[in-house]
Amino acid sequence: MKYEGSKLQDLLAGEYVLGLLTGAARRRFERLLMESASLRSEVADWEGRFAAWSLRLAPVAPPEYLEWRLQGRIRREANAKHGPAGPGFWRAWAVAATLLLAVMVVTERYLPEAEQKPAEMALVSDAKGQPLWLISVHPEDRRIDMKAVTSNPPPAGKSYELWMLPDSGNPVPMGLMNETGTVSESVSAELLAHLAKAKGLAISVEPQGGSPTGLPTGPVVYTAALVAS
Amino acid sequence: MAASPAELQDRNRRLTDLLHAIAQGRQAAFQELYQLVSPQLFAVLLRILKRKDLAEEALQDALLSVWRNAASYTAEKGAPMTWLVSICRYRALDMLRRTRREVSLDPMLDAEADEGEALSGLADDAADTAFVSKAEERALEDCMRRLNDNQRKSIRLAYVDGCTHEEIAASLESPVGTVKSWVRRGLESLKRCLEAA
Repeated sequence: MKYEGSKLQDLLAGEYVLGLLTGAARRRFERLLMESASLRSEVADWEGRFAAWSLRLAPVAPPEYLEWRLQGRIRREANAKHGPAGPGFWRAWAVAATLLLAVMVVTERYLPEAEQKPAEMALVSDAKGQPLWLISVHPEDRRIDMKAVTSNPPPAGKSYELWMLPDSGNPVPMGLMNETGTVSESVSAELLAHLAKAKGLAISVEPQGGSPTGLPTGPVVYTAALVAS
Repeated sequence: MAASPAELQDRNRRLTDLLHAIAQGRQAAFQELYQLVSPQLFAVLLRILKRKDLAEEALQDALLSVWRNAASYTAEKGAPMTWLVSICRYRALDMLRRTRREVSLDPMLDAEADEGEALSGLADDAADTAFVSKAEERALEDCMRRLNDNQRKSIRLAYVDGCTHEEIAASLESPVGTVKSWVRRGLESLKRCLEAA
């Protein structure tokens, strides 16, 4: 196949950018793109030539929940990336945890009470009234804390995922629930504004690592109301 | 209407900074990028996919892939916004190929209409959001004007609305083979003209 440097190459690149190469022709072209720098630059040139048409369309704001959903997804991916690793990780974690504990004791003792007080709280309990998690919203730090009151592991191979139920629209992913200790999730200012008006919180059973779709896929097992504190 | 070259340069520099920060896993940078670019990208996707739900799905997929692959952006791939638009367009075209849409020809013919008026469908005052300079806009339009009617319409329907050869043929009431050669000749003269400019 004589693509390299030919006029045909320019044309194919142009057709590819227009979306007019399909089926086998497109697959062949994409394979060639992998090995030919000149073809890649031809494609980039065409993309640049036509971009003006895309960029002069009047912008349309996407619905708000799309941003929440994306934030939930990337937060989860970021957490997964920094998640458990080898034994070295655990040693480092143990040291960090000790330091963290010390910092927490110090902050608890010395920080003025006003700064610690959450704006809203929710207590998640099971059917028998046993409290499982205490969730608190801290607008000034743009974070929510999830404190495991009683250890409550999810079913094997699953995760518990927290959702906010906004006053309208789809549930918004807020992060995975911890089995023990307290976990903080950072939240955007917009999300905080919606939390203040939210109908409540819900926890669903999801595949390990959280819902793959950004919406609950498993049964909702717990719900809780947010109460101003 | 369009951004001045200086504004454009600032904006592109900011976008490159953000992509760099995103490549390091900074969530706040992703949030800022989202605020800056999502309305423009959403407009591009809506135009191709014609359906809000599909456009939302495509935007989410495309931006997730930006989050994962921001490190692969380099200047050789064009201006950052061009790169982002391309990721979205290819995603939308993939979706179209998988779920072949029921085509209503009316919206596609918008392409023709706003070619005539050139600027309909434009933001009134897009100075704050425009990612394209007047010079770039004008260069493309000047060279497009040198093509014949059918070449021009075919290329616009393909790029702006994501139409296939067959859809273009139906909307221009011409055989597919003829459309293919309109596109090729159009691309040839467009490239000659833009490179001479």
